[in-house]
Amino acid sequence: MDLATLAWKIEGMFPNALCQWVPVALSVDVPAATVSPGWLPGLELALWRSAAGHIAASSNRCPHRGMRLSHGFVRGENLSCIYHGWSFGPDGGCVRIPAHPDMTPPATINSQNKAVLEAGGIVWVCDSNPKSPPPDFHGLVPVRSLTIEASLAALEAAARAVADGKGLLAATIDGVRIHMALAPLAGPQLLAHVLVAADSTCEDRIAASRAAEAFRRMAEAMSPESAAA
Amino acid sequence: MKLYDYVLSPSCYKIRLLAALVGVELTLRPVDFHPGGEHRGPELLALNPAGAIPILEDDDVLLTESSAMLVYIASRAAPEWLGDGSAREGARIQQWLSFSHRLTATLGSARLHEMLLRPGDIRGLQSAGKQALRELEAALTEQRLSDVEFLVCDHPTIADIACFPYVALAPDGGISLEPYPSIRLWQRAIRALQHFIEMPGIHRLHELRPAPVRPEQGA
Repeated sequence: MDLATLAWKIEGMFPNALCQWVPVALSVDVPAATVSPGWLPGLELALWRSAAGHIAASSNRCPHRGMRLSHGFVRGENLSCIYHGWSFGPDGGCVRIPAHPDMTPPATINSQNKAVLEAGGIVWVCDSNPKSPPPDFHGLVPVRSLTIEASLAALEAAARAVADGKGLLAATIDGVRIHMALAPLAGPQLLAHVLVAADSTCEDRIAASRAAEAFRRMAEAMSPESAAA
Repeated sequence: MKLYDYVLSPSCYKIRLLAALVGVELTLRPVDFHPGGEHRGPELLALNPAGAIPILEDDDVLLTESSAMLVYIASRAAPEWLGDGSAREGARIQQWLSFSHRLTATLGSARLHEMLLRPGDIRGLQSAGKQALRELEAALTEQRLSDVEFLVCDHPTIADIACFPYVALAPDGGISLEPYPSIRLWQRAIRALQHFIEMPGIHRLHELRPAPVRPEQGA
């Protein structure tokens, strides 16, 4: 598949990436008082959760010197940059500049937070005004997220199925049924959030995690990008 | 115990880290690894003909393999870091000690290539390193699905210490850690341990202490 077709396919899955919710991470992977990297099409994020449990998605770039905020740390209700300690609140506003302790930071200094919500154990982020709520994966619960270095076409070929209108792709590997909520990443790779039936046991979830590993091996072997590498 | 040490070596850091965590005092003997190449000089080759550090001396015990040093320090001072004595936990710890040498050979070699310009097939090293990280991520994910935070059991063991440093420094070799949420949280659990110490490139969790307060003017 050439790159133009690939872009079209992913665009087809995310027709209005600018005003659509993208599943960026599992809620359990961003526990209280932590920060982790995340991605929207063309935009790096710092996903973070305050000590009190408030989730936020900032642009992954400190407005001071450009350091990735995902390398920073969460103390209390604020995200701090690892470089010079500029701290940002849940609304994105800068609340503290350690080198100027008596100054109230101007409102223009902002970490550019995006719209974010949690539903079904998944953190959803939207770069502008979402027109509708994120899809409801009723009856499914997330197990893990993994990066697959393959095109959507290779994933669909490996699954012998196509992603549905919710961005959900189902596959059966050695008798284990998994669903994957897909999100675009930079380059020829996708982020797959693996989901299983809500009544799955711990053993079922481990089996689903292993099935996802096997699925990734299949999809990457089928991907023209990995064959060329 | 005397450790022949280099501050930028992840293998030396494994020994300093475990010793700090379990309260064993080490006498450090700094080695001019780079640029001096002192580990290949006559004094150190007499101790370790392989020309590698760390080297650990304790009375008549002389060790040149970091995994053996972890076993020695834990056996002397903190046997709970060796698991519960069962066949299952003992073997799983050995499994990860062996695996840790793959991390050294892949992530560590990529880091030496990028930082000290050592020769090597950097694409091949990065690719093999990524494969090892994917295996570690899968194993840690299964542990988390069983509500276990560490590699072998619900408390840290020498398996975690053996694997942690080269993983944490993988970005030095141009290998991203961003795709691995379980590795991220596992590293965080290790860095949150009481008496954790840093090395260049692996910092403590600043948020565990209150924000520093500016001293009063003139104080």
